[in-house]
Amino acid sequence: MSAAQIRFFSLLRREVSRFWKIKRQTVGAPLLETFLYISVFGAALGSRIKELEGFDYVVFVVPGLIMMAWATNAFSNNSSSILQQKFQRAIDDQLSSPSSPLELLLAFSFGGFLRGMLVALLTFTASAILVGIPIEHPFVLLLALFLVGFFFAQLGVLVGVRAEQFDDVSFAQQFVLQPLIFLGGVFYSASLLPEPFETITHFNPVYYMIGTVRYGFLGFDEESVTLSLLGLLLATGALFALNLRLFRKGYRLRA
Amino acid sequence: MTAALQITELRKQYPTGPEALKGVSLTIEPGEFFGLLGPNGAGKSTLIHCTTGLASPSSGAIEVFGHDAIDHYGKARQLVGLAPQDLNLDHFLTLEETLDFHGGYFGMPKKERKERAAELLDAFSLTAKRKERTRTLSGGMKRRLILARALMHRPELLILDEPTAGVDVELRLELWQYVQRINQEGTTILLTTHYLEEAEQLCSRIAFINGGEIVAEGTSPELARTYGVSSLEDAYLELVGRKELSRASMAEISS
Repeated sequence: MSAAQIRFFSLLRREVSRFWKIKRQTVGAPLLETFLYISVFGAALGSRIKELEGFDYVVFVVPGLIMMAWATNAFSNNSSSILQQKFQRAIDDQLSSPSSPLELLLAFSFGGFLRGMLVALLTFTASAILVGIPIEHPFVLLLALFLVGFFFAQLGVLVGVRAEQFDDVSFAQQFVLQPLIFLGGVFYSASLLPEPFETITHFNPVYYMIGTVRYGFLGFDEESVTLSLLGLLLATGALFALNLRLFRKGYRLRA
Repeated sequence: MTAALQITELRKQYPTGPEALKGVSLTIEPGEFFGLLGPNGAGKSTLIHCTTGLASPSSGAIEVFGHDAIDHYGKARQLVGLAPQDLNLDHFLTLEETLDFHGGYFGMPKKERKERAAELLDAFSLTAKRKERTRTLSGGMKRRLILARALMHRPELLILDEPTAGVDVELRLELWQYVQRINQEGTTILLTTHYLEEAEQLCSRIAFINGGEIVAEGTSPELARTYGVSSLEDAYLELVGRKELSRASMAEISS
């Protein structure tokens, strides 16, 4: 391995080891949360709702839950990890190393990305065993999930870099992210909503993300999957470019 | 001969507050044990942070063994080891991991990291604690680990920012012995300290910094002569405008 590869993998290993050491909180808790949703919305409510858009209600809900698991874990891992290291000033060890801004950004990004992927994968495996989830368009599914994971990993980095206290991170998570995800159609189809809520939902970017992931699993789409993926790709690219700029400038990282 | 550290006209203006460095120029030759003394807020840490990438200079140049340390900093950073003033250890990591990750950030291969970490843990009497998390360490042990971490990648220029602040007498003497030994082995050292006896005992050359400017430079006797006094302590008190605190003045008052 070259020195640059050793550097990058050490930075990434540090991020993975952080969440793995507290896996009850970082992997176990989100997994339990997802299963509670499946139990409540699938088993309890689902038995009354029967079908939605031609699918068992629980089958309709699971793709959104998998995406939500990846997104929230990628976000919260990166925002907390960066803020925590800023607080302890432990981040100075990485910042004063020969690592480039790009290496630092990618390592922080992939820490959360991998945590999200792990929780999503475990959720999928268990759901597939319990309720049987089809995968109609595997390539679209993988592309959509990877983009969503990377988008929220970037968002987590951005919030972590900008944050000055833990309240800033929890505000972003509880008051922005969570409502956008919940109101983005994880638990229902937007077409069931009365006006003006159906129209308002179309302004929520998470709605399109859930749509592409659901299409990948179930083959069901409400909006153009191609346009949604393109929009997601552009948004992720823009966020990555912004973060790279902030890392290059050392915004709230270097004095 | 190429200087170990060459700082030219370095300026640093923080967004708020006065200019922290006002065109500082400084040369440290290879193999020197150089002391930087000055009151709180004089610019010592800012100068160190600019050299190690923790602060971005407003203008000026920094070269470490002839390599640019500001824009194309890869080579320069590789040659510098920083033991910061703050005990900025990552509480999630064990002692072994702290050293291992640091070595990784500097591109050291795994086998070399393992051997070097074992060697340093032994040298700083930390081997018994190697599997414990850093938060379980006493203040003195943390201080030793921070020095071990700075030495992990075998830097040629070691920067010690108040390394003995708050440590007991025996640890202070232990650290002195250790850094004197590595200086004799060829490592250039830049030390900032508030303990004048420490600077006098260890440093071959000393610079006074005040208000963001280097105001005097030389050996301890040369600095005393510059200020027309008999000791480094009196020269320092002249620098900070508190000569009434000199031992001679105090003796006069008490007699």
